[in-house]
Amino acid sequence: MNTLSLELRLFLAERATWIVLVLFASTLAYGIANGARMGKAAHESAQLVEQDRQQWTKQVRDALERQAIDPRQVAARPTVALLPPAPLPALAIGQSDLLPAHESISLWRLEKPSEGSAGLENPARLLAGRFDLAFVLVWLLPLFLLAAAYDLCAGDREAGTLRMVLAQGVAPWRWLARRALARAAPMLLLAAAGTIVAGMLTEERAVGARVVLALGVVLAYGLFWVAVCALVNGFARSAASAATGVGAVWVGFVLVLPTLLNVIVESLHPSPPRAELVAESRAAAVEAEQRGNELLSTFYRDHPELAPASMQADITSRMLAQQDEVGRAMDPVRQRFTEAVLSQQRVVDRWRFASPAIAAHEALADLAGTGYWRHRAFQEQVAAFKDELHGYYSPKIHKQQPLTKADGPSFPRFEFVEEEPGRWMSRVATSLLGILALAALAAVAAGTRLSARKLAA
Amino acid sequence: MIFTIARKEFVDAWRDGRFRVGAVLVLVLLAVSGLLARQQVERARAEREAATALERRNWLEQGDKNSHSAGHYGLNVFKPTSPLALFDRGIEPFVGTTVFLEAHRQNQTAFLPAQDATSMRRFGELSAAVALQMLMPLLVVLLAFGALAGERERGTLRQVLSTGLSPRSLVFGKTLGIALTIAILLLPAGALLGGLLLQVPSADAPGLWARAGWLAACYATYLAIFVAGSVAVSASTRSARTALTILLSVWAVNCIVAPRLASDVVHHFLPTPKLAEFEAKLAQDVQKGLDGHDSRSKSLEDFTRRTLQEHGKSRVEELPFNFQGLVMLESERLAAQVFDHHFGRLWDRLQAQDGAVAWAGLAAPLLALRSASMAFAGTDFEHHRHFARAAENHRRDFVRVLNEDLMNNARPGDHNYVAGRALWEKLPEFRLEPIPPAGAWRAARTEVLVLGAWLLASLGFLAFSAGRIRVGGE
Repeated sequence: MNTLSLELRLFLAERATWIVLVLFASTLAYGIANGARMGKAAHESAQLVEQDRQQWTKQVRDALERQAIDPRQVAARPTVALLPPAPLPALAIGQSDLLPAHESISLWRLEKPSEGSAGLENPARLLAGRFDLAFVLVWLLPLFLLAAAYDLCAGDREAGTLRMVLAQGVAPWRWLARRALARAAPMLLLAAAGTIVAGMLTEERAVGARVVLALGVVLAYGLFWVAVCALVNGFARSAASAATGVGAVWVGFVLVLPTLLNVIVESLHPSPPRAELVAESRAAAVEAEQRGNELLSTFYRDHPELAPASMQADITSRMLAQQDEVGRAMDPVRQRFTEAVLSQQRVVDRWRFASPAIAAHEALADLAGTGYWRHRAFQEQVAAFKDELHGYYSPKIHKQQPLTKADGPSFPRFEFVEEEPGRWMSRVATSLLGILALAALAAVAAGTRLSARKLAA
Repeated sequence: MIFTIARKEFVDAWRDGRFRVGAVLVLVLLAVSGLLARQQVERARAEREAATALERRNWLEQGDKNSHSAGHYGLNVFKPTSPLALFDRGIEPFVGTTVFLEAHRQNQTAFLPAQDATSMRRFGELSAAVALQMLMPLLVVLLAFGALAGERERGTLRQVLSTGLSPRSLVFGKTLGIALTIAILLLPAGALLGGLLLQVPSADAPGLWARAGWLAACYATYLAIFVAGSVAVSASTRSARTALTILLSVWAVNCIVAPRLASDVVHHFLPTPKLAEFEAKLAQDVQKGLDGHDSRSKSLEDFTRRTLQEHGKSRVEELPFNFQGLVMLESERLAAQVFDHHFGRLWDRLQAQDGAVAWAGLAAPLLALRSASMAFAGTDFEHHRHFARAAENHRRDFVRVLNEDLMNNARPGDHNYVAGRALWEKLPEFRLEPIPPAGAWRAARTEVLVLGAWLLASLGFLAFSAGRIRVGGE
């Protein structure tokens, strides 16, 4: 323990250490502030959507108090399905700047593919990505750790002082482990503090488990990089070659492997052709329309308000019937499309242990509630809600059955059901174990390499 | 003398095992990313062609209907991929590939490929451009950090200079040697990418090779900046270790921190409008007019009065054509002004943001290079805007043809009028004229300027540090 505190004191006595620590703390603070700002904006826009929805529900209920209403009037207004704000937005922006958090659903457009966007955004900014806490933890934390701990003994070896240290009889791996931990500890403490601060910047209450798991991921990921430093030092003959060594490992794991995995996944499991899906759904619509349209002027379909009153019910029933037909034709096509997208992500899930950076990134986004699977759950629930909406209104419209006061409480209303905690926990725990396993592997390899005989050689 | 030193540096570089491993890895990554990207570009082209053909068939076989209804039926146009996307896909994964053209509305492009991709996309993708932007500078640093600082540390610098060799010759010779090493390393990569480009079906597109030439020039400048700057740092620092620390920090700031930081800071000062506000303003101005004085209904009332006066009639039913068709033409004309204004402002804002990020290239050259690279590859926002504008012009032509048909061929008040395939065929297919290379050059001139400034500055730094070289170490 004495060696540890001595190493720590030595490390903190250097001015460069403090510069690196201040720089790291500032990037952490900036990342957290960015994520929190984005989370606040998401919260505000969710509130607007919710207010609007409540207002509309109240209007309909009030109207129903007075009289029965034609269901077409209610169904004509789009309702908004909302993905509630993420539980830990300050931790990772994840996919939330790319995938929409709400979708407008109208009975007449159930078969239109949703064109949802997460809002207006400069595509170059989506390409660059955000400077959020996850970026600081996954990309920059290792760089800062490497800067602090790349030269554990390579410099001593170069200067010839290593033999002197080894002559004192300490087990080299123990001495190096203490030195590595002493140099990494301030950085890891800052990273942990940042994660806890991010955990406090939320409107949600029950986020304890998420914050604890996030801390686990961050520390395991940090330890992996400390072990990498030790391993590289087992080989490096000079401080400069240790620096190039750890730099190369960083480039390999954080820069090359994830981007390489990305292009390989896209080549082996290409994204399904969206353009063809669009064109095919139109082809289905043309066919359905031609069958259903024989008696009806298409002009009235587009401008039903101009149709004579006697024809209007006929028009809407026929439109619904056509839409059903398009739905039947498109279901298998859409199924294939969704399956292809999902199989891509499954490949990524399997291969995320190729680099601890991927595993850590996926886990942090999952914990923040801005990851792939929560957005996927939202899309699936929106699809189910469309069926519910259809099942509720269509029979009433076909039967020309007005809505009455008694129908008020049973209106279809979209409520997002959060994923079972067990599911995201098991994904995150697997990632965490994977990172720990990689860290242990690197540490064991370093331990074997750092025997006194090999070091002195 | 300079050439002798350059040759020695060149030979030394290839003897260095670390460099050889790094060089082979970068070349393999360049080749893999080039081949995979070529496959992707080819697939995107085939998909687009299939979808375009299917959509054309949908349009022609939509059946007989009122011509204005055909305007509501609308049509989708799909964005073509630039052949140089095999080198740099730029913003393509993050912009819509499809735009739905219909009566009354200008729609945004929809369906971002990144939305249908995995979360890995956020790590970026390994393209040849990324390998050259981020990995090649690392190889340069690897070659250059010890070039002079290492000799100084070992004490060989004093010996070399004691032979009467001028420090300038030594520094410039080493720079030249490293530059030659990198250039020779890049030859096979360039040949491979050129070969892949030759196989792309649209390889004969006008200006393609001019664009490729500009790309080569930009990347050469960027790497030259790194070579000169790295050698200069090595000449000015006492130990190889210090030189390496400085160069790796510069690399990390330039390649990892700057892209995100610059775009965040720029968006703070030039925010993008919110979607809901943009749409509300657009809808409001379509109804009330841009100046907010004349509502749409008032404008159309005035228009009716003027039309009746011109034809000397008192009721629209007496006009010799279908007045509803004419009204639709007029309301499209009014709406077009509003769309031009709002979309123009939105796109100007996005381009102003991109421009500011390019100027931030004065602090980190990668920002300028990245944006120049996308511009010459045809995968930047200027090219996307060009597509969106062309699609909108196509929409206006197609809606005009349909409304003119309604005006001239439907009897007044006849809501049962139908047109058929003969009219649908009159509508030409959507074609996108590519932006000539001069246009891409205009889009990238700030970036080229910034890169030029960096090159001058780094050469200046090199000359300065060569003049002040010290032989002693720590």
